[in-house]
Amino acid sequence: MEKSEVRSIYLLAGFLVFAYALPFAVGVWTDSIFYDRQWLADLATVALSGLMQGGVYAMFAVGLTLIFGVMRVINVAHGELVVLGAYLTWVMFNMPEWLGIDVYVDPLLSMVVSLPLAFLLGYGIQKLLLNAVVGGPELTPLLITFGIGISLVNIVEWIFTTDYHTIPYEPDAIHLTASIAVGKNKVISFGMAFLISMSVYIFLKVARLGKAIRATAQNADVAMVCGINIYSIYMITFGLGAALAAAGGTLVSIQFGFNPETGLQYTVVAFAIIILGGRGNFIGALIGALMLGVIENLIAFMVPNGSAMVEIAAYGLMICTLLIRPRGLMGAKEG
Amino acid sequence: MTRKEHLINLGYLAAFLAVLTVLPSQFSVYITSFIMFTMMYVVLALSWNIISGYTGYVSFGHVLFYGVGSYASAILVADHGWHWVPTLAVSALVGVVIAVAIGFPVLRLKGPYFAIAMLGAAEGTRVIVTVWDGLTHGGEGISLPNVENSTETYIAMLLLMVATIAVSYWVGHSRFGIRLNAIREDELAAEVMGINTTVYKLAAFALSAVFPAIAGAIQANKTLYIDPETEFFILITITMKLMAMLGGKGTVIGPIVGAIVLYSVQEIVWIRFPQAHLIAFGIFLILVARFMPRGLVGFWIDRGWARKGMVH
Repeated sequence: MEKSEVRSIYLLAGFLVFAYALPFAVGVWTDSIFYDRQWLADLATVALSGLMQGGVYAMFAVGLTLIFGVMRVINVAHGELVVLGAYLTWVMFNMPEWLGIDVYVDPLLSMVVSLPLAFLLGYGIQKLLLNAVVGGPELTPLLITFGIGISLVNIVEWIFTTDYHTIPYEPDAIHLTASIAVGKNKVISFGMAFLISMSVYIFLKVARLGKAIRATAQNADVAMVCGINIYSIYMITFGLGAALAAAGGTLVSIQFGFNPETGLQYTVVAFAIIILGGRGNFIGALIGALMLGVIENLIAFMVPNGSAMVEIAAYGLMICTLLIRPRGLMGAKEG
Repeated sequence: MTRKEHLINLGYLAAFLAVLTVLPSQFSVYITSFIMFTMMYVVLALSWNIISGYTGYVSFGHVLFYGVGSYASAILVADHGWHWVPTLAVSALVGVVIAVAIGFPVLRLKGPYFAIAMLGAAEGTRVIVTVWDGLTHGGEGISLPNVENSTETYIAMLLLMVATIAVSYWVGHSRFGIRLNAIREDELAAEVMGINTTVYKLAAFALSAVFPAIAGAIQANKTLYIDPETEFFILITITMKLMAMLGGKGTVIGPIVGAIVLYSVQEIVWIRFPQAHLIAFGIFLILVARFMPRGLVGFWIDRGWARKGMVH
């Protein structure tokens, strides 16, 4: 582990302590603090489920940061890929019932099919549309991915309408103590997110292909001179990013409602996270995702009428980061 | 450009406007409102073009000003009993104030970061408008008193379009516009040349916010009902962007051509296939960005179909 990665863990720990302490500070200030057991337990529950939600966000953000890090392209269609992943899972979950077969398809198991599909889609998008414009004016790929996003949303909407769907999955709660409880599906999805992001991390660190991806991210020209086919690396990276987004979609589908239009919200969330964590920084994206998850849940808990304010949290966080520390928490100094 | 060419351009514009002034008395309500909305999109595309075409700061959230303008007007008309004409001035003012307040931090960002920050700002504003029940009636929207004003709104939109074209033409031919172009080409070099880039960017941003705010206000008084979902609809931003790009961004005639072509196609053909129309929109955006970066007008000039002086 590098020094900065060790530091990031301290950073996260510090943030969590701060997040748990902040409600007390606010409570003392507004004179509305409750010292009873129930309130403390509620707060712990909120912080914990925020952390679990952050795991899902990490899936979105890691893919986006990977694509950005390697190609300097912001994939505006990322949220739509998440939604696509969610729909793939939902379709596979319901397929046996529609066909009248009595089989239970575990939503997590459906990733075996949906991830390769998403990879192929990403690979194809990069090959057909983006390879020619990487390295040109920054805005062309942005507009192209934006176009892909609109088309994708409306294709999904055309097929599945705008109805909200969700997959009922492991609805029981896990009780840590008598009054601190987290949904079992959330814990499972957090574990899954942790597993996937760790395997991607190890892949990037150890595997030959992973090293080639990192080399391309560092300096595409030098990588090319060293015999790396950067265009094929670009296609693999975009495919990988799309697959991670689809994995995020699967995790979304087992705990939140989704419809085609929620994609934009996920794009903004993922974008806010990579700004917060540092653009192109893998660990930064993970840390940023966990932080955003906790912040959103705390806002929903503490602010009355908070559910709408939660939507603004990501925007606010993004703009504050850009103004105060443009390179993000873990980002390298630019220029 | 010579004086003669300016005069020829003016002649074209005058003929065009003369036709538009006579039209509403000749045609049905449907055609009149179709032309009015075409003019509205000309205004929107030209305004987007001022910040994004000339200055190079591509905004993904310009619907923000449109929505804010329409809300300012609707609140004054419905809740405070104003006549709708003076509210247009208030809408313009609100648009400028918000543009300066948002632009000051956000214009420090460059390229994609500016684009996404604007996307976020527009969505954030939509959420705020939805939540702020007391002022905006929240998600249920505002119904305006029912009055017949389609001729008045038509004239107002026509005047607004003339103003927008005039200002765009001025931007395209003045030192102000040249400085904006310098910022687009190389901001650092522009700064070294002694251009106060912050002030110029803010001015361009404010200018590009005024007209959408007024257009939104006129639209609100025409349709007589607004709600956050339609007034801050992200598709409006996409449409104005696509129109300007399709015609040719960074020119005056480009966004006008783009708006007329695209809105007509949209109204006549695509509206019959709502979902397919949006899919086609996305594909269209991809194709224009990928294969026609200078737009229709640039395409015509390359083939010698258009006079160069007409374009700028």
